[in-house]
This record gives sequence, C-alpha cells and structure tokens, in this order.
Amino acid sequence: NKLASQLSVVPIQFGQINPVPSSSAIPSQESLLTSSSLPTSLPFASSQPVPLPFPMSHGTTTLAFLFQGGVLAAADTRSSCSGLVACPASQKILPIHSHLVGTTSGTSADCALWKRILSRELRLYQLRHGRRLSTSGAAKLLSHMLHPFKGTELCVAATLCGWDGGELFYVCSDGTRLQGKLFSVGSGSPYAYSILDQGVQWGLTVAEATSIAREAVFRATYRDAYSGNCVDIYHITSKGWTRRRREDLKEDSKKSEAN
Amino acid sequence: MALEDVCGFKEKLFSTLEDTTTSVHDYCNLEWKGQETSEKIPHHFFMPHFSQTNFSISRTPSPFGPRDRSVTVRRPFPLSHGTTTLGFIFQGGVIAAADTRASAGGLVACPAVHKITPIHSHLVVTSSGSGADCMLWERILIREIRLYQLRHRRRLSIRGTAKLLSFMLHPFKGTNVCVALTLCGWDKEDGGPGCAKNSEDTSCKTDDSPSGVISSATHSLSPNCGPQLIYVCSDGARLQGEVFSVGSGSPYAYSVLDGSLSWDLSKKEAISLAREAVFRATHRDAYSGNNVDLFLVTAQGWSQRRREDLKEEYYRDMERKAQKQQSGTTQVMTCKK
Repeated sequence: NKLASQLSVVPIQFGQINPVPSSSAIPSQESLLTSSSLPTSLPFASSQPVPLPFPMSHGTTTLAFLFQGGVLAAADTRSSCSGLVACPASQKILPIHSHLVGTTSGTSADCALWKRILSRELRLYQLRHGRRLSTSGAAKLLSHMLHPFKGTELCVAATLCGWDGGELFYVCSDGTRLQGKLFSVGSGSPYAYSILDQGVQWGLTVAEATSIAREAVFRATYRDAYSGNCVDIYHITSKGWTRRRREDLKEDSKKSEAN
Repeated sequence: MALEDVCGFKEKLFSTLEDTTTSVHDYCNLEWKGQETSEKIPHHFFMPHFSQTNFSISRTPSPFGPRDRSVTVRRPFPLSHGTTTLGFIFQGGVIAAADTRASAGGLVACPAVHKITPIHSHLVVTSSGSGADCMLWERILIREIRLYQLRHRRRLSIRGTAKLLSFMLHPFKGTNVCVALTLCGWDKEDGGPGCAKNSEDTSCKTDDSPSGVISSATHSLSPNCGPQLIYVCSDGARLQGEVFSVGSGSPYAYSVLDGSLSWDLSKKEAISLAREAVFRATHRDAYSGNNVDLFLVTAQGWSQRRREDLKEEYYRDMERKAQKQQSGTTQVMTCKK
C-alpha cells in the first residue's frame, strides 16, 4: 500500500546511532506502534546523552481543572534558565489538536518536541482508524513513548486536557500517568494549589473558573521567582479549545498593591 | 562576664574534657567533670560533642561556641522542615498559627506537638526545623530573656531578642543545627498604654487617607512599639516583616495569606484567615496536619485559641462546597426557565 509505506517513513531523524527494527522496541498493547515508524527513531538509553549545560528546574506554574463547562488550563509565560529569564513570553500551553491541549513543564525543548510528536501520532491514528483517540489513549501513548527515556535527562511533565470524555491526565517523563480533576505542575504549583482548593468545584461558571485560574497563577507568580510575566488561559469544550487574550500580570499586581 | 560565672565556665575545665572515651557518656549525663563548686548545673548540654583536640586555652571560652566543628553527630534519618507555621501582623496585633504534626521521615512521630511557645507575656515564638533543636533553643531564649530582665530591670525589645537569638545561633552555622523561628510579639515602651494608643491613632489616620500606600508606610514605621514579627534562622538570617510562613507547607499557606491579608482585618477575620491558610497547607502537604494552634498577641499579652482538629474543618469545607454547588445548580435551572 503506497499510503502505508509513505506513512511509515520517518521525516525526522533523532540522531540515533543504531536504528533497531520496530517490533522489539516498545512492549505496547496498541498495534499502531508496532507497525509505525516511531520506535525505529527512538534512541535508547545506551547512547550518549547530551549533558545539560546548566541546571534546569521545573520553573513554571501550570494548572488545569475540570468543571461543568469543560476543562480550563492556565499557565504563566516565563521561561527561565537558572536565574535568567530566557523568554518572558513563551507558550506553555500547546494545542495538540482541536479538542486536546497540553500544558508543559520541565525542559521547554523536550516538551515542545514531544508535543509535536504526540500531535503527529494522534493525527496518524485518526487517519488510520477513522476516529480520534481519546484523551486517556493519548496519555497512554505519550507515556509509552516516553518510557524508553526513563533514567535519562529527559524532563517532561505535561497535563493533557481534552474533551473526549472531558478528561484530565498528568503524564510525566519518569513514568507517572494520573487521571484527576485538578492538577498543578511546576515550581509555583504549591502556591496555585491552595487557591484552587479553595475555589474549584464542579458547578462553576466559565467566568468564575477563569478568574480562579488567573488568581491562582497570579499568586504563584507573586511568590515564585521562576514564574511570572503573563498568564495564558485555554478553555476546552465540546466545540474545541478557545484561548483567552494573554494578560499581563503587572496590572494585577499594581491593583493588589493599591488595595 | 556574669553569665560565665553563673554557668561555671573556667578555662582549666576544658582539660578534663579531653578524655574522649567517656565524653559521650558525660554528654548524656549532663554533668561537669571535676568541677570544684558544689552545684552541678547542667550547662554544657548546648555545646556540641567534640573529639580529642588540643584546645587553645588562651581563647576566651564562649559558652555557646562549638570547639571543633568537624565532628558532629550523624542524623539517624533525613530531617526536613516538615511543618506549616505562619505569622502575620494586622491592626489588632500579631497572629501566630501552626499545625501540630511532628514527622520523622515518613512517620508521624507525634500528632499533637506544640510548635508555638510563649517566651514571655508579650512574645510567642513559632518553631520549624528540627524539633529537638527548636525546643532547646526556645528554652535557652526564655532563660536569656529572663536573665536580661532581671539584670537591666526592663524587658528586651523583640528586635533585641531576635538579635540575641541570632548571635547565639551564629557559632553553630555550618553544623547540623536546624532552627527556623518566627518571633511574634508586641513591644511595649515604658509608657505601655501610650504605645497602643499611638498605633490606634495611626490606624485612624489611615482610614481617612485616600491611597492605600500611606497606611502601609505608617504602620510599618513602628521601630520599638507595637506588633513585631521577626524571622530568625540557624543559617544566620534575621528578617523583619509583616507576614512569614515557614516549613514544607509554607507555599500553600503563602498564597492563601497573600490573597486576603491586609492591615485592616478584624480580629475574627484574621483568625479565620490564619486557620484557613494552615488548613490548606495541611490538606496538600504530607508533613503537616492534625490540628491547628492559634495564638494572638496584643498589647495585653498573648492569648491562645483552643486547639482545633482540622479533620472537622475538612468536613465543614466539603459541606460548604456541596451546599454551594446545590444552590448554584438551582440558580442555573431557574435562569434557563
């Protein structure tokens, strides 16, 4: 099948030293992985990892929660490199497809790459099987794709927020995959957790949920040095995701100083 | 120095402590060896254990200093600041709140510990870090403050107390002493009630002032009068501020406090804010929990609220959320119609 052979070509080379045939790579229940191109391109732990140039940390605040109006995801926009604000306007919430959004935490480069890989794999699944993979399936897929890198310096902590089933999953490069109603990830997450615990319940309106999410990120950026600048808010419903205009938290802090 | 005489420190005593084989035993027995005076006062319990070294006898012995920093007792398990304590200032005084869980690694060693200790009638200290070290240093601080009061016939200010504590802890910097205390107190000038009146006057003024910036300036400009909150830590930090939270649960408490804290809170609001902050922290932090202790320090002294179990608070919170949800859904349904 010409289409199948085209789909099995890997456009991206990951610099692997010894490409190994796919079937032995990942013990996975999903049949698509055994025939797809992905396992051949994954380097194994035996290859030389690139040493990190500076100590990294999960310097961020991202959060996501479920409520009656769908799923709300929020994050700050500061990318830090151990003391330097490398980018004050980075995107930590990356859309994967029209009804799935992922928040990222950990190493920005790793997160961006794995999000793209995940989008590609989900699109391939959709083309092959004629239906979209559920959020739970997407989380499992990401988790299995990250598994060969366990023990290396890969650092990805993502929250997948999707409408297929209205689910929220936390996937991490050390192998964790958790389903839940409320997650916050990153160095600013404890600060956000308190505010979310106070206010989040099922029956919130969209406006209330947005203001709680913004307040939580704001409180975290107030106390955490590695979070700051602006806040991004994404709202996922049955119609897809919508993004609020990015708001600079400087105005919020000016208002609270004046109070 | 009078204190040295009271403690019985004499230079030649150190020669008797060179014998290392029994020094650990003596350390535990808390007795001087070969002291001529009749009283056996356990003074050297605060000196760290030292091995056989040649002391330079010419060095003036300070009662608080370690002799040989390279030898310290190894910890039996990894300690952490497993606690949530907080303190903040508002117009009605200083609130100090803490949870009551003492953890040792993953074990809840004691679910009902007192992390807030009164030092004197107008000073209360919250402790975090190693439980044993905190208890010891609190007792030392109580003793030193009392000695100061007896000698100089006036009470040491809160800032002076913080400085004293910081200097006492300084020789142990670099050792395993782990103490993080927040001193919450009310300073009284010699004209006691006058001080409270001053702060009331300033608070009245701030009500009339148009912008909020002025109020914060006037109430923080109280150098030796009124509510004081100072954080002292065994690393050497000594910080004065208006809100502090210490421990593993502190980030959770900070965001709750930052959201609602202001100078103009009423006493009831301040107490419920402190309780809410500790509750949120104990909900998320594994090393904090059980009950919450609350102290309020005013010009009249400290007062303690009855210890509250946070289990009840959790169930009340769940009920409140369920009720809100029910009323919310009925509202939505009526709107739809």
